[in-house]
Amino acid sequence: MGKTFRKVMMLGGAVTPPSIPMDWTWRELATEAYCLALDAAGVKPREVDLACVAYNDRTIVDSSIGPQVADALALAPKPVLVTSSACAGNGVASWAAWNAIASGRCDIVVSLGFARSDNYDAMEAMNSEGNYCDYDYLMGLTHINYGGLRDDYYRRKYGATIEDAARWVHQCHWFARRNPLAAEYSKPMPSLEELSADTPEAERQRQATNRGGVASAFVLCGEEIAGRFTDKPVQFDVAYAYRPPYMGNFNDWPVEGLRGFDMAELSGLMVAAKEAYAMAGVTAADAGVCQVHDLTAFEGFMAIEALGLAPLGKGADYVRSGGMALGSKCPVNTYGGGPAFGHGSVGCDFQAGVIENFLQLRGECGERQVDGARVGVNSSYGTHHSLDVAGVVQRRW
Amino acid sequence: MSQDFPEALVRVDTFSSAVWYRGKRGRYLIEGSRCGACGRVYFPPRKGLLCPACHERRMESHVCADRGEVVAHVKDDLGFPAWGYGDDLPRRMVVVRLDDGAHVLGDVVDVGPEEEVGAGLRVRAVFRKHRREDTGAWVYGFRFVPDREGGA
Repeated sequence: MGKTFRKVMMLGGAVTPPSIPMDWTWRELATEAYCLALDAAGVKPREVDLACVAYNDRTIVDSSIGPQVADALALAPKPVLVTSSACAGNGVASWAAWNAIASGRCDIVVSLGFARSDNYDAMEAMNSEGNYCDYDYLMGLTHINYGGLRDDYYRRKYGATIEDAARWVHQCHWFARRNPLAAEYSKPMPSLEELSADTPEAERQRQATNRGGVASAFVLCGEEIAGRFTDKPVQFDVAYAYRPPYMGNFNDWPVEGLRGFDMAELSGLMVAAKEAYAMAGVTAADAGVCQVHDLTAFEGFMAIEALGLAPLGKGADYVRSGGMALGSKCPVNTYGGGPAFGHGSVGCDFQAGVIENFLQLRGECGERQVDGARVGVNSSYGTHHSLDVAGVVQRRW
Repeated sequence: MSQDFPEALVRVDTFSSAVWYRGKRGRYLIEGSRCGACGRVYFPPRKGLLCPACHERRMESHVCADRGEVVAHVKDDLGFPAWGYGDDLPRRMVVVRLDDGAHVLGDVVDVGPEEEVGAGLRVRAVFRKHRREDTGAWVYGFRFVPDREGGA
């Protein structure tokens, strides 16, 4: 890791609400999140030095979109850095934003993601393509199959059950009924029994729901500038790691950090979390609130294990013992998680977790508020954990 | 450019499954790669790529074992099959650890609806039709069937 010249502070952020009208263009969607985030941060458009933007190149026809984003956000001639790196691409954008500030090159940077997954069918974001297309999707394997295979492997290796998965999803729904931004906010609360059934219908309920079109953004600045905008600055750190895209190669890949693990562990997230914790100067034991990006509950278990909240294979125990709920040392998925906040893909899968943790540290979460958290951690992934991102926020007041 | 190929660039760029798949021996033979320096076996193939283990660039063709054991299984019954695969549901998707150590994703066919397909099942690779493209071309590739004869 190279030398950093200053800490990076987060001033505010926003996620667009569910049910964005279908006739909104991606430009409107991105601009909406950008303006909401600037408002939340108290920053004026002309003060922004750079926007780092993640988008899903499968779902829009425009190419080489840097200049187009700069135009939409009225940033030109200032730079826009565009990345396309699957669902956690907005985490990669935030990594670039972090670097621009930590290096001293920029003072105020917006990290932004947008996705128009509803331009295709309702399950597009989870189902449309493979990780290594020639050898999975084109041979009939979907993202959902990837998740099912990984879950089966994890369940047999560590003994987690469908009831454990139902418990995770039920808690996500409980939080989502207290988060107006969640896709399931106003829908009837499912029962634990309903979620525990061993049927395809219940399995669909235990998986993530799709948010459709969504965008998110947050505003970062150098530590010495933060006082101009807020008396409650939040330090932000982020790291990410890759694994090979073909899931068969999650087994004992011959490089440091990935060797010795298999499909039942998120070794890439372990690598990313280790770096993010080191940069932030904290450990997993300091975490007082946690958000993970989970398309299935078993994946949620794997994520809290990789982040160090539970030992490997013990994620279900963490939930059974009440660790996920308010009142525990580190509640998990207070934003509602994949099953109930909804899968936002490149639009928000990483940033929604960062923004929720930011609001939790500042005490702005209403009925789902966690008491006394000083450090929040979150994770997100792309292409079934061949990309994993870990974020850490901490109070600096 | 010639009379036979008046629009050479268009022909090269136009998507054709027949042309594309002709170069995908990995889909037919489970052909992967073996590092000529350290001997590590890879699938999918890494022709022309670096070896992650030793960072040498000496990949050689390697036809993987055609038998192995199921290590993960899921029934594809949630109603969102891959394009072109919706006629034969539910499919039995698997991860197979081949006898030479490579892990390969695929599906098990030639099993009855109630037949158990789960971890530990011995399977062997077979060459089968997968689906028909809009162009009319058939897509072929490997699939797995239970290895009822047993043995590696």
